[in-house]
Amino acid sequence: MICLKQCFSLLFLSIFSFQNYAQSDKDKNLKVGWSTVDITPDKPVLVAGQFHARLSEGVMDPVTATILALESGEGTNSEKTIWISCDLVGISDGMRATANLRDEIRTRVVKAIPSILPEQIIVNATHTHAAPYVASIAAVEGIYGVSLDQMANGKPAMSPATYIPIAADRIAQGVVKAWKKRNPGGISLGLGHAVVGLNRLQALKHGKSRMYGNTNSPEFSHIEGHEDHSLNLMYFWDLNKQLTGVIINVAAPSQVSEHSYKLSADFWHDTKLAVKKSLGDSVYVLAQASAAGDQSPHVMVGSKAEERMQQLLGFGEEGTGRGSLAQRKQIAKRLADEVIDLFPVMKANIEWQPEFKHEKKLVPLSRRLLSPEDVAEATEEAEIWQAEYDKLKAEVHDNPDIIKTPRWYKNITISYSKLRRGLVVSERYELEKTQPKMPIEVHVVRIGDAVFATNPFELYLDYGMQMKAQSPAIQTFIVQLTGSGSYLPTQRSIEGGAYGAVPASTLMGPEGGAELVEETLTLINKMW
Amino acid sequence: MVEKIFNKIATVTCLTFFLVAPVVASQLYIGAKTVDITPQLPVAVTGQFHLRIAEVAETPLIASVMVLETRGFDGDLAVMVSCDALYIPKDLVALVRQRVKKQLPGIDENKIFLNATHTHTAPVLALEGEYLIPKTGVTQVKDYRHFFVEKVSAAIVEAWKERAPGSVAWGMGYAVAGYNRRIVYADGTSGMSSKTNLPEFRSFEGSEDHNVNTLFFWDDKGKLVSIVVGVASPSQEVEGRHAVNADYWHPVREGITEKYGKEVNVLGWAAAAGDITPHMRYRKEADDRMRNLRNLSRTEELARRIILAVDESYDAVASERHSDLDFRHHVEELSLPERWVTEKNYLEAKAFVQNAKEQIAEDPKAADALYRMMNWQERTVKRYEKQLENPKQLYPMDLHVIKLGDIAICTNEFELFSDFGIRMIARSKALQTFVIQLTGSSDWGSYLPTQRAVNGGAYSAIIHSNIVGPEGGQVLVDRTVEVIDQLWNKEVK
Repeated sequence: MICLKQCFSLLFLSIFSFQNYAQSDKDKNLKVGWSTVDITPDKPVLVAGQFHARLSEGVMDPVTATILALESGEGTNSEKTIWISCDLVGISDGMRATANLRDEIRTRVVKAIPSILPEQIIVNATHTHAAPYVASIAAVEGIYGVSLDQMANGKPAMSPATYIPIAADRIAQGVVKAWKKRNPGGISLGLGHAVVGLNRLQALKHGKSRMYGNTNSPEFSHIEGHEDHSLNLMYFWDLNKQLTGVIINVAAPSQVSEHSYKLSADFWHDTKLAVKKSLGDSVYVLAQASAAGDQSPHVMVGSKAEERMQQLLGFGEEGTGRGSLAQRKQIAKRLADEVIDLFPVMKANIEWQPEFKHEKKLVPLSRRLLSPEDVAEATEEAEIWQAEYDKLKAEVHDNPDIIKTPRWYKNITISYSKLRRGLVVSERYELEKTQPKMPIEVHVVRIGDAVFATNPFELYLDYGMQMKAQSPAIQTFIVQLTGSGSYLPTQRSIEGGAYGAVPASTLMGPEGGAELVEETLTLINKMW
Repeated sequence: MVEKIFNKIATVTCLTFFLVAPVVASQLYIGAKTVDITPQLPVAVTGQFHLRIAEVAETPLIASVMVLETRGFDGDLAVMVSCDALYIPKDLVALVRQRVKKQLPGIDENKIFLNATHTHTAPVLALEGEYLIPKTGVTQVKDYRHFFVEKVSAAIVEAWKERAPGSVAWGMGYAVAGYNRRIVYADGTSGMSSKTNLPEFRSFEGSEDHNVNTLFFWDDKGKLVSIVVGVASPSQEVEGRHAVNADYWHPVREGITEKYGKEVNVLGWAAAAGDITPHMRYRKEADDRMRNLRNLSRTEELARRIILAVDESYDAVASERHSDLDFRHHVEELSLPERWVTEKNYLEAKAFVQNAKEQIAEDPKAADALYRMMNWQERTVKRYEKQLENPKQLYPMDLHVIKLGDIAICTNEFELFSDFGIRMIARSKALQTFVIQLTGSSDWGSYLPTQRAVNGGAYSAIIHSNIVGPEGGQVLVDRTVEVIDQLWNKEVK
């Protein structure tokens, strides 16, 4: 009897919802499709995110791409956005090296679905530091100074050049699936709060800053920059008001497990599990990192108390503290709690015909103006690392059995990475003279009262706040790392001189940052 | 003179003994009491420069007392009182202590401290100088002070008499309830609570601390008696109202008592939050929309977030209760160097005071807007004159540092900028460090800003707002950390 009642209710609700939908202006009808694909390689690969190479040693949890296909209107002129969120450290886009995962995906998708334009496809990285390296298609020796064969000691392993097309194939297949599955739907817009991203830069009393330093020191003055604990959320519903998926946008990179040799999607894996557990297995979670170049999930002050709470919350089975699964689960709880808490409010406030616009622009940004002193300093460092690299390489030559030792390549690959890092400064210095501006891709997508604004950087939080503060949208989702990265630091941070703000870490400086803010706001304002 | 020297030697000897002697873990005794301190209406409320007379009490005002005691040779005591007030004048603290001492001669009254939640809709407590309050038709400051002292001291006595064996657990959660209110612009200047939707907006000047530190106390029958909630945010969401209102602490208490029992005593502690406010500084529209969708007022929304953090902590720590623990309460008078008043500061303040006096003389009604500001600047004039007599002016501050099991509690008398609190927490040996600001104020309170705030300027970092400056702030941090270190270095037998 109850079941019959429920069926009638559901039928009535469906008819009612469909009538509402059918009566509306077709040009504004939103269609939504979702899919997820596993992009975990089946052989060991290079893991991206540290100076030293890591050849993966298994899988902690799958690395995935989640795809959201949106279409508003009918026919060839319909507005479309394909949003792809990848468990990767960055999305190569040709900006820093030869690899271009973004365009590999776009080419395949456009070939499969000609009505989709390349510029309607946005790919963002969650910045997990435990996912395959996709930044270059060069031979591994050219990336890390050691061949893949040597690293793997003759065992099977997959190079980035091999992995990138495989990942692109799988993601494109996922896009086709999401596109085919798209169905009429609605959205609701939510704002929650979760303390996940913490500023990782400490200003010292003498005026300089450092990243991940010890705050338990009389020299510690303050945390250099700000934090943003807002959680921008967009829920998607089918016509039966069933939740199909949710975008979670948080100002934090997912790098708890950043030293892992096992592949992992980091805290997004745990977050997806926690959301699905409460809201249903079929619910998709699309993860976005807001401006968070100076943020990390690592606790800088009060970590002992945090660790104890992880234990007491029942997450301590596999260790607690920095880099632990307990910390990931604690973060997942905070994120999922907010998503779940808002669920009924969001369900009662669905918008079926949101305004939907998508614009892409190539924005020329000023490269960071480097000085001859910057070059001299970096070159000097490169020379030191060259000597170290040569020494370690000679050791390998003299003692070839060394490659039988697990992870033997750590120090030599650090030296090579730092050597390359020193050399790029002079390359950038020369480039700035002839090409003072560099075009970067910015997407602005308006959905209802919300706007999404992308950038390819590890963008320092202040820039994101500046955009949010001046944006006419009720909620502004900043999405960083829709490209290959590079920090974009503030002037304050450059003066502090910590890792993310030094010349070797940056393509752009504060001038480029100010231009990015201004250009992004111009694009947003046009939509309002 | 000889007696003074002798007293000093005795004090130092006692303190040295206190700080080096081993102690034993002891049974904790607890007593708790909540008392209504809502004034008789109408009443002048404080927190703005202009005079406001409240005709209505939108919520009750509360003082919550918590007595902690261990007994025997190493026994100690702390009497902590959280008050819905903007500030607690030092002379009022002294009156409460005297009153309690009169009724409980055996008590060490110096172990009593009071903190203000910093609600801007509570009565004036400074005896003079804040506003020109009408002599009739409104509750007089001296009468409210008398009422306050009677009520609070009676509550302390009652809590003291009812103290009994109990236990405690500590927890930590998160709630976004305080936002940095100092805005940095492209030219390097700062504004307080100023606009962010400008192209010149660059960043927020300082940090935020979203930790919610909690203490839970149970009696020996396992009944929850009291909850302490520490939040780095002053309760001033409704700060402009012409009304009496306990601000967000009222719905916090309502929510907690609804869930945990109507007799549960709730102490609200404001952690270092001199540069923090509960007001949104950007994305306000989105926050307001969510609040409206939930059908909550802004104070209720803040309470919702705080209560969620309390709930999470309670669920996690409720089974980890400590009844025998190391409990020590260190009290000292800490001398902090006062901020230097320049001649320019002096001349400008003097000119302002002169001008204000003339305006008030011409139109007495102008006092409603000018009187407090005039006195605020006149303090600077007087400080400069004192400084000429003795350039090394020191501000005497009552410092309380408590070790309660694994946690530390430390007080200060300022609206302390969050960086100082974070420095203490970062360097503290305690598992959790509860910083409590505004535990006694000279006049009607004073900000303690960082150097970068002083450089940026704006209301809370200018000379009239600061008796103690960044240099004194660091002395406060260093000494607090030093005392915590000493308390932790003791071997517990």
